[in-house]
Amino acid sequence: MHGRRGLSFYLLAFFFALFVLFLYGPTITIAILSFQGPQGGLTFPMNGVSTHWFGELFKQQAVGDIWGSFRRSFALGLMVMVTTVVVSVMGGLAFRKHFRGSGFVFYLVIGSLIVPSILISLGVGILFNQLDLDVHWSTSGFGSQLTWTLPFGLLIMFAVFNRFDSAYEEAARDLGASPWQTIRHVVLPIIGPSLIGVALFGFTLSYDEFARTLLTAGSYNTLPLEIFGMTTSVTTPVLFALGTFTTAFSFIVIGLFALLYWLSNKRRAIGKD
Amino acid sequence: MKSKTSNKAGSKYLNSKGTQRRTLMKGAAATVAAGTITGAPLIWAQNIKNVTLRQFGTGVSNLNDVANKVKEDLGFTLEMTALDSDSVTQRAATQPKSFDIADIEYWICKKVWPAGNLQAMDTSKIDNYDNIVGIFRNGKLNPDSVIAQGTAPHSVGFVDGPEGKEFVDEESGWMTLIPTIYNADTLGIRPDLIGREISTWAELLNPEFKGKASILDISSIGIMDAAMVCEAMGEISYGDKGNMTREEIDKTMAIFTEAKKNGQFRAFWKSFDESVNLMSSGEVVIQSMWSPAITAVRSKGIPCVYQPLKEGYRSWGGGLGLSKNLSGLELDAAYEYINWYLSGWVGGYLMRQGYYSAVPSTSKDFMSEDEWGYWFEGKESQGEIVNPQGVVLEKAGAVRDGGSFEERMGRVACWNAVMDENQYMVRKWNEFIAA
Amino acid sequence: MSSTTVKSSSAKPSSAKPSSAKNTLVGWLMASPLVLILGCFLLLPIIAIVAVSFWASTEYSYFPAFIFENYEFLLTSPVTLSVYIKTFMFTGITWFLCLVIGFTVAYFLAFHVRTLPMQIGLFLLCTVPFWTSNIIRMISWIPFLGRNGIANNALQDMGLIDEPLEWLLFSDFAVILAFVHLFTLFMIVPIFNSMMRLDRSLIEAAVDAGASSRQVLTNVIIPLTKPGIMIGSIFVVTLVMGDFITVRFMSGGQSASVGRVISNEIALLQYPAASASAVVLLLTVLIMIGIMLRFVDIRKEL
Repeated sequence: MHGRRGLSFYLLAFFFALFVLFLYGPTITIAILSFQGPQGGLTFPMNGVSTHWFGELFKQQAVGDIWGSFRRSFALGLMVMVTTVVVSVMGGLAFRKHFRGSGFVFYLVIGSLIVPSILISLGVGILFNQLDLDVHWSTSGFGSQLTWTLPFGLLIMFAVFNRFDSAYEEAARDLGASPWQTIRHVVLPIIGPSLIGVALFGFTLSYDEFARTLLTAGSYNTLPLEIFGMTTSVTTPVLFALGTFTTAFSFIVIGLFALLYWLSNKRRAIGKD
Repeated sequence: MKSKTSNKAGSKYLNSKGTQRRTLMKGAAATVAAGTITGAPLIWAQNIKNVTLRQFGTGVSNLNDVANKVKEDLGFTLEMTALDSDSVTQRAATQPKSFDIADIEYWICKKVWPAGNLQAMDTSKIDNYDNIVGIFRNGKLNPDSVIAQGTAPHSVGFVDGPEGKEFVDEESGWMTLIPTIYNADTLGIRPDLIGREISTWAELLNPEFKGKASILDISSIGIMDAAMVCEAMGEISYGDKGNMTREEIDKTMAIFTEAKKNGQFRAFWKSFDESVNLMSSGEVVIQSMWSPAITAVRSKGIPCVYQPLKEGYRSWGGGLGLSKNLSGLELDAAYEYINWYLSGWVGGYLMRQGYYSAVPSTSKDFMSEDEWGYWFEGKESQGEIVNPQGVVLEKAGAVRDGGSFEERMGRVACWNAVMDENQYMVRKWNEFIAA
Repeated sequence: MSSTTVKSSSAKPSSAKPSSAKNTLVGWLMASPLVLILGCFLLLPIIAIVAVSFWASTEYSYFPAFIFENYEFLLTSPVTLSVYIKTFMFTGITWFLCLVIGFTVAYFLAFHVRTLPMQIGLFLLCTVPFWTSNIIRMISWIPFLGRNGIANNALQDMGLIDEPLEWLLFSDFAVILAFVHLFTLFMIVPIFNSMMRLDRSLIEAAVDAGASSRQVLTNVIIPLTKPGIMIGSIFVVTLVMGDFITVRFMSGGQSASVGRVISNEIALLQYPAASASAVVLLLTVLIMIGIMLRFVDIRKEL
């Protein structure tokens, strides 16, 4: 298998390249169209080339509030991220206790993963409506998104703890560490890098969630809702400029997480020396 | 909770608003507080600057420029949320606490008024009430006009009192919506790709345009387009298009479902923007369209015509409604806002986009003579016609399709409608979309 | 907690070890935020939906009742069946394409790319587009596939076609294309994960025993990555079954899926009707996933 690179390697590499092209096709199309001239529309042909629409993006739009929604989505993403990490770690640790009824909780988590998102939106909307509560992105929207991010977080935690060598914990206990000390000084540092993954999932799944926030965001739009609104009211490539911009922003976020991951690995490596 | 939200610039207002709102919720205490405030004009003038009104509506009229101008002219903050028309209906019907002012269409009003989330407005507090065009008051553009079928604005424009739930036919002094914007819609076509005269709604289902036609997927509007088409084809003669029987609905939907299955439609659209894109990219050459959407296509240098048809237009109108939760200072601010709305600046702004203002006489002061001549009187333009954003829409010598205000609004055949059998119609429409 | 229990506990939640009362208490305490959140935002909403599906409605509101009309209309409408058939078709084709593409890509990354940094680098390359808003990614297919779009222009320039291809956009083809584009990643990740965990010595053993690479693939790799395949399939199936926005954008509003019917009903304020449709959809999805879970013990395989 690991001998010379045969024909199959090149065929597969070609397939992979095609796939990447397919994945990036729309992203590239958006990127090109976001440089439309000032008279250009949302479709080809190009009508001149300019950075006009990026400039427009930073001005106030005729309708809506892109930056307000961006700030909300960012804040919501962070809230969801932190909650997902904390709750997933606690959940992951809980499952190691094999407590009675863990099966029920497990299927609850799986259920959360497979329930179509529109049901959550509809259900939470109805629930809040009937309880006479206001829907708001930071309450109902927040909760609805957690039903999507928590299962991901927990699945990662399961995968992590399944490979976790409990000898470390035993050693800590034998040395007289309390359960909390064991978690704080032994378990958390070991699973740390995976938590970055959980955090990343939590943030991005929230940041891009549309269906679950549709009926649960209340008066103020999150970014995906705003973009959806824009598709109904904006006829200019400013929409694509926004797409290009958010992609660039995503790159920055990934970069930051990658850096964090690298740093934490490096620190651990040093620690091991 | 409110104070945590949203942008920094507005947080000051939101804060004071948050407090106010909570106080107001307490009912009795709030009434006392509000009474004290309105009793003292000086304090009022200062306090009103701290008011924030939350308005929502479709992108058509929920313009940030309006909010900015309100801040400038009136001093208080207007927060705009633009939504698609489904979400607008939804919010008006189910989330009364999420807004102070609803910018909705009249057919939506007919649907959601009975939910009791809006309060009637006292017309004696509306300065320009007497100047509002007849369409919104007695239904008649001119004294001898015939009222078109469908949900005509005046028929859902008045209720029998401040707490009224029933619509009344006469000008009762209590208005559901203050009219702001309206227009007459017709088929938009690409003359370069069609190359012949189009004069009837029936052309929408002409097999010649197979795969190149489109229709609006908002049931209350789409069904009226469909009815105009079926009637023009001579397939169905309706008792009242605006209030169809189940049988008429079935027949109409059957004709359209068949056309859909034969591949007549390229796409359905739900928003202004989609219709513009479909038309300008050449995906669609004939579709029911809004006048400013046609202008938008044309401003990209693509030929597109707002085609007057012999059967007449399908018309729509929108207005501002007040949330039932408004009271005291905020209610005063809302009246202030509405009076300002009708005083001409917004009217001129909307007219220069191709809509009509409910009080044309005040809007005239905010338009140049040439603009007024082109947009309202149907005269040939003397110079370039530009929209409020400064984009050139027409060169000198252009004449507006469909002509003057009287010619357009005088030939309305039906209004967007909510019928008695609306729930049935909606289900049938849903089936048509799914078919 | 005695050290023997700890030792034997292989973190698998399924292993049927007798659970002590203390463990149960601590376990529930630690799981309580999770249970609380899912209880409030998953269980209660679903209960609400089930309840409301029996309610009655008017134009603008809905109110408690106990009627079967919503289900009656749903189950007797000929459109329901055709919508479900269409949705199953979307799901089936999308699942198949995602599986083939996802497996091939994961296979390439896991077994043909040799260094770990390169593997991670290429893997990240696949995940980046996932970071642009789904809606923007969807609508950016429109200028690509349209009548005067890049694809048609390119094909015409090459002389392959004379007339623009109409079926590229606003068609079932476009819907499936967008689905595959959006969801293949959900297949790649778990399969790639399974493959990376696979013990390489098993492959070497198979090769040493004289297995051809095809045999290695079918007899070693595929069986051992089954959990990944199943998890990926569950993702793709549930995402497609519940989708409403992709279908609307890519079919130009002309096709309907179950999710879209629900979203239309919600938009038209017919909450009880929407709830009834949602209940039927939920049951359908649960049955499908239940069948899929029979092929793999997800608790054990994680």
